[in-house]
Amino acid sequence: MPKTLTSVLLLAFAVLLAACNSSHVQFSIVSGSENTVLQPIVEEFCAKQGATCTFAYEGSLDIGLGLQRPAGLDQDAVWPASSVWVDLFDSGRKVRNLTSIAQMPVILGVRKSKAAELGWVGKPVFMKDILAAVKDGKLKFLMTSATQSNSGASAYLAMLSSALGGKEVIEPGDLDNPNVRETVSALLQGVERSSGSSGWLADLYVDSASKGTVYDAMWNYEATLKETNDKLKQIGKEPLYAIYPADGVAVGDSPLGFIDHGRGPDVEKFFTDLLAYLQSDAVRKRIADTGRRLPLGGSAIQAAPEPDWNFDPGKLVTSIRMPEPAVIRKALDLYQEALRKPSLTALCFDFSGSMEDKGEKQLQAAAQFLFTPEKASEVLVQWTPSDHIFVLPFDSVVRANFEATGDAAGQAQLLADVADQHAGGGTDMYACAQQALQKITATANLSKYLPAIIIMTDGRTDGSADAFLDQWRNAPVRVPVFGITFGDADKSQLANLAQATSARVFDGGGDLAGAFRAARGYN
Amino acid sequence: MAISRRALGLGLLGVAAAGTGGYLTLKDRPEFRGYLGNKAHLFGFIGGEKQAFLADPDVVHALGGYGLELDARVAGSVEMVREAALLSQKPQFLWPSSSIMVDLARKSGVAIRNDQVVLNSPVVVYTWGPVVEGLKKSGLVTVAGKGGYNQLDLKALLDAILAGKNWSDLGIDELYGRARIVSTDPNRSNSGFMFAGLVLSLMSGDVATQELLAEHGDQAMAIFRSMGLKSSSSGKLFDQYIAGGLGAEPMVVGYENQLVEWALADPARWQRVQAGAGAKPEILYPRPTVYSAHPLIVIDPAVDRLLEALTSPTLQQLAWSKHGFRGPLGTVAGDADAIAGVRPAEIEAVLPMPSADVMLALLNQMDG
Repeated sequence: MPKTLTSVLLLAFAVLLAACNSSHVQFSIVSGSENTVLQPIVEEFCAKQGATCTFAYEGSLDIGLGLQRPAGLDQDAVWPASSVWVDLFDSGRKVRNLTSIAQMPVILGVRKSKAAELGWVGKPVFMKDILAAVKDGKLKFLMTSATQSNSGASAYLAMLSSALGGKEVIEPGDLDNPNVRETVSALLQGVERSSGSSGWLADLYVDSASKGTVYDAMWNYEATLKETNDKLKQIGKEPLYAIYPADGVAVGDSPLGFIDHGRGPDVEKFFTDLLAYLQSDAVRKRIADTGRRLPLGGSAIQAAPEPDWNFDPGKLVTSIRMPEPAVIRKALDLYQEALRKPSLTALCFDFSGSMEDKGEKQLQAAAQFLFTPEKASEVLVQWTPSDHIFVLPFDSVVRANFEATGDAAGQAQLLADVADQHAGGGTDMYACAQQALQKITATANLSKYLPAIIIMTDGRTDGSADAFLDQWRNAPVRVPVFGITFGDADKSQLANLAQATSARVFDGGGDLAGAFRAARGYN
Repeated sequence: MAISRRALGLGLLGVAAAGTGGYLTLKDRPEFRGYLGNKAHLFGFIGGEKQAFLADPDVVHALGGYGLELDARVAGSVEMVREAALLSQKPQFLWPSSSIMVDLARKSGVAIRNDQVVLNSPVVVYTWGPVVEGLKKSGLVTVAGKGGYNQLDLKALLDAILAGKNWSDLGIDELYGRARIVSTDPNRSNSGFMFAGLVLSLMSGDVATQELLAEHGDQAMAIFRSMGLKSSSSGKLFDQYIAGGLGAEPMVVGYENQLVEWALADPARWQRVQAGAGAKPEILYPRPTVYSAHPLIVIDPAVDRLLEALTSPTLQQLAWSKHGFRGPLGTVAGDADAIAGVRPAEIEAVLPMPSADVMLALLNQMDG
């Protein structure tokens, strides 16, 4: 009997110990950038539970593409902007218990004075009105890439739906209709800047406004427009007036779902508790305060309307019907290959001496990915014949200027040109940036393109940014300069250049193809 | 000695750990179960819509009274009667959500000892207050003389959708664009499957046959094409309906018990919704409709006792009053008062489903 008692006590102790350990859960979430504002609310819960939570932000389509990979995603939970991307890509049914947290219509925010000038204040506005304004050259807008971010995809699908003239849903044959293609292509001519992230696009708007560049309009979530306007008011800038296209918008359902990596019942319990916390009345109220919609939450929960910019989360919006998965996939290819505004891209490749061996190999591999249509199209960043590409290999000087359109032959030529380059010599990325900008500004019909310079380098450069920035300020268009870094590159010089030109730097050290996909989303 | 030393030790452990909640954990451990009662364990597959019912502690307790404990795993109704991967696990019972599945199980070579419909839930249309008001104006919704519930002329609605009518043509000015109704994917989920049968029969003017399918299948398929992206499960679609509201999900197909269960799961929430100013969830009973029957397919003789338990007044009462499931004949167990604001309709017009062969042919056409 004493022996039994001992074992009983030991077992009981073990049970108690297990109960204590359960609070030290490590939990990771990959989410769309629009949820950054909700991170503190989640962190409060993690702290209360004694759990360590980590957050990663990716475009909703990237989250979907991650689910599609055989290895799947590393995180314990996904929180994309819409469950459509889980339906579309999660063929292995890795995500469980996917639950909507809030509803987020994607709408058009138009600078208030511009909205007044267009006669849109206090009136229902249809997609055809937006089209007319774009065609007349009276409206340009910011919109994320439809092949990377849910808000861009939503705006794009709403444009397609509208172009069909109120048909109930987009069907495969509709995408071959020349009238539909022409209408949507004309609408997308209104894109002035793009990005792979809705949150970044909103930051770009505020940041540019604070520097004196005020864009006309932006497609984004209703709640993100509220965040943006709160910031614009703080810096004394005019708000974006909310246009809810009357012929239907796409509504993201912001679902949180669990991915079971077999890390034990504690992790899954943490997830279900987190879900219950997010659905509790007090937290729902805080979520609604960010401008998110919680249908059935009632007026007690919904954020107060702000009539000065037409914000009303209680206003009924008709949502477009999402098409079948195969149609969505075809629509995304169509966007990338035909309808999006063509890219005008100057690629500066660093072939200086420090790139020898590993760097050079990485650069050649990057070129292989970029200029092999089958590879690029797997992740929806393929070029089209309407795109125009410059490749400028550089060391202390620009070695050569290669130029091609984005058709298969052009890409093959660029690939061969790059293959002939080998590392050697000094480094001056500013010299390359200057020539790249000259090439871009000298292009005919410049306004038809979305221009960008992308510099790939392993770090420190000689030369100075001053001459380039002078030239940049005097250029007829604002050309963002993106950076992609190799290895343990010193990012500071690239970061300054990106900051000055409203762009950003991507780390290609781990996943160069991923960095390129990210950069292409902004171009 | 009746109690072994080990059992006594475990009993003590139970007392020691009860304060930490460890007791329940132990009870769930299969290797300890035998010491805490002498129950028969039955393993089988069930449709997901019955998961909450079988997980209900009152139901577990009542089944326990019959000496039963279930290992009921969720599977799609269609796959549980057809997939070798599931059938090879030697389930002792199957509990799908449509009577046709009994035929399909037989075709798959399942040795059926007995089968009996235990629960029923009519296929209904979930919508919102303003839609009901509009459809009353346009005559598509009428109030049943007996029972006072809202019944929908589904054939007229389907005709309007096929004719490309807008919501405003149907008296609903709040919504823009074409009228639409959305169900789950008939190839994966039972509520969509049953709705497909109902649509085909309505288009055919009679319970559909192969001949009628050849003649009217295109119309049925046009209805489903107009839905676009379809959910894989009834539970998911209902969640989308609740989360999306009037603008995103104006009309969806579901089971009658889903709203009842949702309301009962959080009565305070339900009261708030009823008292709020926004559009409220509403049930429309299609006239005619089809019944989603839930036949218990008995494979192992040990399951006879489960059939007896599930058809007992206690469990039938729990099925209705806590989960909104009706009894074997579509009647309501116990008192028929409204629960959670849902008034049980006395449904008079019920269509049988087309035969399994017709349904399979329809699904194949939709797939292709």
